[in-house]
Amino acid sequence: MTSPETASPSLFGRLAGRSRPVRTSHDVVVLHDVTKRYPNGRMALRDVDLVVPEGDFVFLVGPSGAGKSTLMRLLIRDELATQGHVVVDGDDLARLRRRAVPRVRRKIGVVFQDFKLLPRKTVWENVAFALEVTGTPRAKIRPAVDRVIALVGLTAQAAQIPTQLSGGEQQRTAIARALVHDPRIIIADEPTGNLDPVISWEIIQLLLRINELGVTILMATHDAEVVTALRKRVVALEEGRVIRDELGAAYHRED
Amino acid sequence: MVAFVLFSIRRAWQGFWRNALMSLAATLTMVLMLTLLAGFFVLQNVLLASLTFVEQKVEVVAYVQNTATQDQVNALVAKVQAMPEVASVQFVSRDQALANFRQTLAAQGRPDLTTSLDQNPLYASVNVKLRDPSQLSAVVSAIGDQPIVRSVINIQALVDRVLTFTSVVRSAGIAILGIVGVIVLFIIVNTIRLAVVARAEEIEIMRLVGASDAFIRWPFVFEGALVGLLGAMITLGLLLLASQPLSQAMVSFFNVLPIELGSVGRDTTALVLGTGVGLGVLGAWVSVRTYLIR
Ligand SMILES: Nc1ncnc2c1ncn2[C@@H]1O[C@H](COP(=O)(O)OP(=O)(O)O)[C@@H](O)[C@H]1O
Ligand SMILES: [Mg+2]
Repeated sequence: MTSPETASPSLFGRLAGRSRPVRTSHDVVVLHDVTKRYPNGRMALRDVDLVVPEGDFVFLVGPSGAGKSTLMRLLIRDELATQGHVVVDGDDLARLRRRAVPRVRRKIGVVFQDFKLLPRKTVWENVAFALEVTGTPRAKIRPAVDRVIALVGLTAQAAQIPTQLSGGEQQRTAIARALVHDPRIIIADEPTGNLDPVISWEIIQLLLRINELGVTILMATHDAEVVTALRKRVVALEEGRVIRDELGAAYHRED
Repeated sequence: MVAFVLFSIRRAWQGFWRNALMSLAATLTMVLMLTLLAGFFVLQNVLLASLTFVEQKVEVVAYVQNTATQDQVNALVAKVQAMPEVASVQFVSRDQALANFRQTLAAQGRPDLTTSLDQNPLYASVNVKLRDPSQLSAVVSAIGDQPIVRSVINIQALVDRVLTFTSVVRSAGIAILGIVGVIVLFIIVNTIRLAVVARAEEIEIMRLVGASDAFIRWPFVFEGALVGLLGAMITLGLLLLASQPLSQAMVSFFNVLPIELGSVGRDTTALVLGTGVGLGVLGAWVSVRTYLIR
């Protein structure tokens, strides 16, 4: 039931050291004039324009309530934009048929501040769950799960349940689950919000490594130190508007 | 497809046992509600069956003049027989009437004083059973007009009362059964909803990782069906245990009424199974719908 990934070879292909795909530049996320008004009348996003080329690493910053989570919910079509276009890997989400929504969601791995792991499943089962519920044949599940668990460095903890893990290990489990569908994009909504600084750096390092494998990363964060240190692209939201979009930027505006 | 169904059933089974407490609560609610429903259903059937029996007992008795000849009697019987409202006609001669009377006295242990009479004081009668007791007055007046008929016993008032009672029981029974049905539906659907809501986190994760609606919905629908089936079977088991002493009590209570209840057992089984599984599926279906792709 998984959709064929026509454009790019699989993440595992890339992991196995085969040649990186040679491809013309491609924008995996395009938001054009996007406005989101919630049913209660709250304007969460106003006239947002954002283009993310494949392979980018983008920090989404801004105070709480700025609309960062809303933007991410639009990308996975958890919410629909009130106005404007949201295009993910060529699919205009407003015109996407309901039946096609799961296919788009499998191209996007999501990671949250609160991990969202199933408490009674082991690390391995939590990751395998993402494949089981999308109809992946059992024979394909085992190798795929083993690989992503190795990638995030949890092979030794594979049989443990979330309560036996540290926060960092739980978040790495969630990242493994987000990777197991071999996504084009990882969306991480304040993934280090619950973690102490050292562990936060470990998670960031992991995301950087995944980015180097060609996966586009969009990460919402409040962590000024990390953002400023890494000098990646920074998109700043305030009251639903993009007030800054800079390459190689710091957390705060530097003029 | 087969793999999908197997997956759904496996997940339903896991889901049932992983939230064993919730599932058990849902099953017990199901048992309680189904027992209530089945109880009302059986009660209504017993009442209606006994009333039908009473209705069948409705008889028009026409006494015949002693001067009537056998030919005249035969003509009367044939004429009555031809009426569309009439089910059966029986002629009871004077001698037979006396014999019946003596038998009744003997059965009740009372002294038979009729032997001291020098002649038979009873009249011959034509006893008419009706197809439909509501046609009583038409038949009574048609027979009463016959010249050889001396008198017709008029039990109109009694029959009217029985008929009113029957129709009240019938419509009230349907109304009560309907109300109980709605309550049962509401409670079961809400219990299943609770069981589904308890798994909201799991459903949310399924959505986030790109599970299709079918993969989210069907395991819960099967789980609802499982709760329904289990609840129905427990209910039927309880009813079976209770049916022996209950029908004993019923027989001694209505011992004059050999009630025909053959199909009630089958109907109750169908009702309990159908309601249980149906509501389990319905409850899961509507509960899980809020979590599907908008
Ligand atoms: N489901 C919702 N219904 C109504 N308003 C919402 C909902 N989710 C978020 N909002 C509002 O939209 C605005 C943006 O919220 P959010 O996207 O969560 O911001 P951030 O993630 O940057 O903190 C806030 O004012 C918030 O109150
Ligand atoms: Mg947020």
